[in-house]
Amino acid sequence: MKNRCFPGLSLLLTCLSLLPLTAFGQEIPRTDAGLPFLQGIWQAQTRAAYNLEDHVARADMQAGTSVVLGGSIPYRDSALAKRQNNFENRAELDPLKKCFLPGPTRIMAMPFPFQIFQNDEHVAITFEWTQVYRLIYTAGQEHLYPGFEFWMGDARGQWEGDTLVVEINDLNDRTWLDAAGNYHSLAAHITERYTLVDENTIQYQATIDDPEIFSEPWTIEFPLLRQTAMPRLLEYQCQAEAEEVSGDFERVEKQWYPAPIPAENIPFDTDAGADLPLPEVISAFNRRDDGSPDISGYFVSDAGGANYGLEVRENIAMFPPARGVVVAPADGVLPYQDWARAEQLERREAWRGYDDPTAHCFVAGIPRSHYVPSPFYILQTPGYVVILHERMSYRVIPLDGREHLSESIRLWMGDAVGHWQGDTLVVESSNYNGKAWLNELGDVTSHAQTVVETYTPVSDSQIIYRATIADPIPYSRPWTIEMPFNKQSEELLEVACLEDNNDLEHLRDVRDEHRAQM
Amino acid sequence: MKHKILLSIASLLFSQLFVSSALAHHSFSAEFDIDKPVSLSGKVTRMQWSNPHGWIYIDVENEDGSLTNWALETSAANNLIRRGWKRTHLVAGTVIQVQGFQARNGSTTANIRGIILEDGSRLFSGNADELSK
Repeated sequence: MKNRCFPGLSLLLTCLSLLPLTAFGQEIPRTDAGLPFLQGIWQAQTRAAYNLEDHVARADMQAGTSVVLGGSIPYRDSALAKRQNNFENRAELDPLKKCFLPGPTRIMAMPFPFQIFQNDEHVAITFEWTQVYRLIYTAGQEHLYPGFEFWMGDARGQWEGDTLVVEINDLNDRTWLDAAGNYHSLAAHITERYTLVDENTIQYQATIDDPEIFSEPWTIEFPLLRQTAMPRLLEYQCQAEAEEVSGDFERVEKQWYPAPIPAENIPFDTDAGADLPLPEVISAFNRRDDGSPDISGYFVSDAGGANYGLEVRENIAMFPPARGVVVAPADGVLPYQDWARAEQLERREAWRGYDDPTAHCFVAGIPRSHYVPSPFYILQTPGYVVILHERMSYRVIPLDGREHLSESIRLWMGDAVGHWQGDTLVVESSNYNGKAWLNELGDVTSHAQTVVETYTPVSDSQIIYRATIADPIPYSRPWTIEMPFNKQSEELLEVACLEDNNDLEHLRDVRDEHRAQM
Repeated sequence: MKHKILLSIASLLFSQLFVSSALAHHSFSAEFDIDKPVSLSGKVTRMQWSNPHGWIYIDVENEDGSLTNWALETSAANNLIRRGWKRTHLVAGTVIQVQGFQARNGSTTANIRGIILEDGSRLFSGNADELSK
C-alpha cells in the first residue's frame, strides 16, 4: 500500500483537496484504494468508561449521559442482580483494579489515547494504557485457533462502504464493559463500526449481542477525536505503577533514571564500536510498493537462549545453556564494569528471581522483547513500522526522522525513530527508564542506554537482527548482539500475563526467606 | 508429606531434558528446585488455560487413601495451543502422569514439561523459542 496521506497535518491538508467526500459531506483522508484512512492518534470523547448508561457523579466517577442507543441496556431480569453486585462492590471486583485487560470496547472509551495503524491486511490499535494492542485482520485471513477465549477477543474486519465493520468473537467472560459493573458472558459477540465522518472524527459504534445476559442486541456510540497536538503515545504501565507505589517493585538506584554514572566506573570508550559487515543476502525478498523491503509478518527469534544469558554459557544452577549472541566485542564477553558484573552474578541467585520485571508481567524493554522468548508481528504502514509483541507490548517506530522526546520523558520501551539505509531498517532509541533486565540471568541495563538496531532482510523468510547497546553506567564500551528472526505462517495469540501470575507469590516467598536469614 | 513421590533415574534424566526448556516468564531456578524432582500420577480436577503459564490441577492419592491436590505449571496457554493441546485432552477425571520439580517454598506445586495420557500418548509443553527453527 502506498498511501501518502498519513496524517502529519500538512500532508493531510494537501491530501484533503484530492479526496472525495463522505456520506456526511466531509472530506476525509483515503488510501490509494479509496478506503477511509483511519491511521493516527485518537481518544474517545465520552464518560462511557465510567458507565455506559446515564449516571450521576460518584467519588470514583464523573457524571455522564448514556451512550447506549435507546438509553438503557436491555438486561434479562435474571442478569440484573449480578450487575448490581458488581456496581456495589466495584472497588474490589472491577477487573481493571487488577490491571487486567479491559476488553475490546471498554478500552476504546478509556481516558487514554491510542494509535491506529492501517494497511491493506490489518488495522492495528496500540493503546497507551499498559501497552495493550488490538490486531484486526482485514483481508479475510483464516483464524487458526478458534474456540479459545481471550480478554480482547478475536477480531476480523471488512469494509462496508466507508465503514470498517469488525466482528469480535472468542471473548472470555472476565471483562466488564465499564467501571459500573455492566458485564457479558462467554456467549457475547460484538460488532464494531468505525466511520470516519470528518478528518478528525471517527464515529464509533459497538453492538453487543449476548442472549444469556441481554434480551436483545444493543448498541453504544461515541466519537473518537484525532489528537492533533500529540505526536506520539507515551506509556502508562498499570501494574508497574501500582507496585511501585505499594513497594512490591522496588526502586534500583544505580540503574533507574536519573542515576548518575558511578564514580568507580572506568571511562566509557564510546569509539570502541563494532565495524561489522552487513549480513549477506541469501535469496530475493519481497518489496513494498515504495521499493522498501517487505519485512512484515509473524516472526520468532532464533535467540539461542539469549533470555537466559547473552554470553556463551553452559548449564549453571538450572539456567539452560546459552549459545552466545554477543558479536562485539569479538570475544563475546559483555564489557561490564566490575560492580555491574557483580550485580549480574548475584541476580542468578534464586532469591533475586523476584526482581526480574518480567516475573511481575511488566514489559520486557528493548532489546529483550525480541528474545524474551515470545513471537512478534511486524506491521508496515505508511510512515511507520510497528512491532506487536505477543506478550502484550508493542513498539511504534516512526520513519519521519523526528527528534527524540525530551530528556525527562522515560519509558520502558524507549523512544524509537527509524529510517531505511539501503535495505536495512535502522532504529535508534533512547529515553529508557532503566527498569528492565536484559534476561532472566540478570544481564544489566540502565536508563542511560541508547540502542541502535538494524533489521536486515536476507530472504523472504529471515531477518538478521543486530542491536548495539551503548550504556555508560554498567558497561565500559558499546557491545552488539545478533540473531536471526524467522518468519512463520502463524497468528498472534494473546498473552494476558497478569491473569494468573501466581508464580510471583512463590518468588516473593523465596526472596523474603533469604532476607529473613540475612 | 505422604503424597506419592517417586524419585528415579528417569526423573533425573528428565531433569536434564528440562534444563533445555526453561520458562519464559520468570527464572525457573528461582521458583522451582532441581533437587526436588517429583513423579506424580493422578486425576485432573481442573485445567486452567491461562497466562503466563497454564496450570493443571490433579488429585494424587496418598498412601492412606487421602487425596492431595497438586498444581502443575506448564508453559503459557498459547504455547500449548500451538503444540496441539485441546480442551478435550484434560477434562476433569482424566488420568495423567507427570514428572517435574517441586516449588522451593514446599507447596504442592511443580513445574512440568509435558504429560503422559492414559493411552501412553504424550503432550509436550515446551517454550516459544523451541518453535523458532
